Amino acid sequence: MVSRLRDFVRPQTHEVLAVDALSFSIRHGERVAFIGPNGAGKSTTLKMLAGILHPDSGEARVLGLVPSRQRRQLAFQLGTVFGQRSQLWYQLPPRDTFDLLSRVYEIEAVAHRRRIQSLTRLFELEPFLDTPVRQLSLGERMRCEIVASLLHGPRLLFLDEPTIGLDVSAKATIQALLRAESDRDAVTLLLTSHDTGDMEKICDRVIVISGGRLLWDGSIVDLRRRYITSKRVTIWSEIERLQLTIPGVRVITAAGYRTEFDVALDVTTVGHVVDAALKQGSVRDLAIEDAPLDAVIRALYATTHADIGTSGAADLPPSLKLQRTAEALAEAAQARTEERTAS
Amino acid sequence: MTGRTGKYVAFLRISFAQARHARGELYGRVVFFVVILGVFSSLWTAVAEAGMPLAVEPRAMVWYLAITEWIVLSAPPMHFDIQEAVRRGDIVCQLGRPVSWVGAAFAEGLGLLIARAPLLFATACACAAVFTGWVPPLRVLLVIAPLGMAACALVMALWIGIGLLAFWLGDVGPVSWVWQKLMFVFGGLLMPVELYPALVRRIAPFTPFPSVLSRPASLVLHENAGEAAALVLSLAGWGTITAVTLAFLFRRAAAALTVNGG
Repeated sequence: MVSRLRDFVRPQTHEVLAVDALSFSIRHGERVAFIGPNGAGKSTTLKMLAGILHPDSGEARVLGLVPSRQRRQLAFQLGTVFGQRSQLWYQLPPRDTFDLLSRVYEIEAVAHRRRIQSLTRLFELEPFLDTPVRQLSLGERMRCEIVASLLHGPRLLFLDEPTIGLDVSAKATIQALLRAESDRDAVTLLLTSHDTGDMEKICDRVIVISGGRLLWDGSIVDLRRRYITSKRVTIWSEIERLQLTIPGVRVITAAGYRTEFDVALDVTTVGHVVDAALKQGSVRDLAIEDAPLDAVIRALYATTHADIGTSGAADLPPSLKLQRTAEALAEAAQARTEERTAS
Repeated sequence: MTGRTGKYVAFLRISFAQARHARGELYGRVVFFVVILGVFSSLWTAVAEAGMPLAVEPRAMVWYLAITEWIVLSAPPMHFDIQEAVRRGDIVCQLGRPVSWVGAAFAEGLGLLIARAPLLFATACACAAVFTGWVPPLRVLLVIAPLGMAACALVMALWIGIGLLAFWLGDVGPVSWVWQKLMFVFGGLLMPVELYPALVRRIAPFTPFPSVLSRPASLVLHENAGEAAALVLSLAGWGTITAVTLAFLFRRAAAALTVNGG
């Protein structure tokens, strides 16, 4: 009772360091995925870069401007899409919001008309341009949100979970459109998402943060190369229950003539596995897969969470990092196997 | 219209268009208006019939109430919209635009005001005329209408100020409740401030409330060109103070902003 009263009179607060010692730069026209677990500081970083939130310390420059001091100048060159927020007027058709934004961004009438025509064609908005937003599906609304952010021809587009809640088809559409728009007008994209599909289909580079600190900054290909320590080989053979006794190879599932192996690349090669299978009998078919990017990301998060909390993976020796990553990958593969078996 | 003014006119127009699509709330206010005027009309009539002394004749009191209620019901409660935008985090979409956030909010409010005030004014006049069987001179109503609109705009700007407190408080419900009651008392919602106790009469001039409620409505009681001119100056003065306060509050709010929902 006393503590409650004290909390009421003098509430206790504690500071959370949302972003700390984070440093990166992005070149014009790059498409960068900015990812991290929940609470990593992604959205906070984007909002600081957009000038919406003001950092306590440190410096950010976007297109040569300081966002916290030059928010309005920056806004003319910056588009933002927040997947869980809407800038469209709910009761009105998207066209009305587009007209409003043309005024807000001081776009001349002729240029605005031309831009609307071009974007509505690209994003296929014609059928519902005059339908009230409240009657649109989530996918249609998100396409409108993106068009609203592109109307003023921004040089830089921040996308905060643009495909959240969308079905696979709508996601694929948005991903393709974003890539096409970035290619066409050399728009720099900085995207946060928990969907690895967004990263792989839109972006070329990935920045991973956790606890507000940088964990990885490099290409998606390098991320895979660095953190994927195994491949999955599935063989459909002429004989039942194919057995391979090769170090570093273990069976994940075996059902009839189909056997799935996990191949540890630091111990053996996929070529050895295929050779060994061919020696045992004819191979009808085979498939070689990387671990999905999801598993790589999960492993990366798991590594940092398990071992270093919020102090940053950068402090870990590479060998330990890889070992933990491999363990996490194996766990992820095991979990998937169990899921499949259950289904 | 181009440039900076054009931006705010665009906000006004889109807000007006949205209000036209959401007419349910407006019709609800009209019904409430009719009921409240009916009740108070009966009350003042009963008071007069009971032989209780009234400083103002009952029919004038009903017209006074019709004008104050018109102003209160026409001014959009912008604090609720701002509170919701801050709570849901939608504020991030609004802050990313090259436009004054306070200016845009005010323009949006004006759009809503223009959508609802004419119908509510017509309702006020019609109801008061029916309930009292009396209509003030047309020239008085023509003076009251624009001054009342200006008063509505000031009430709305004050609500924006209350809404800005959501950046710190999260929930502005209690503050808005107290603010509203202060407005009703020091503004003289039910009867002119001159009829209130001395303490209220002494404090009221130091608040913006008489200028937005009592003084515009009092024009229906006694026609006075000098009072109308003084009211214009008073509204301009309080408008300036409110604008400066809003700009200060917003600067502080933006610097201390934490966006809900990541």
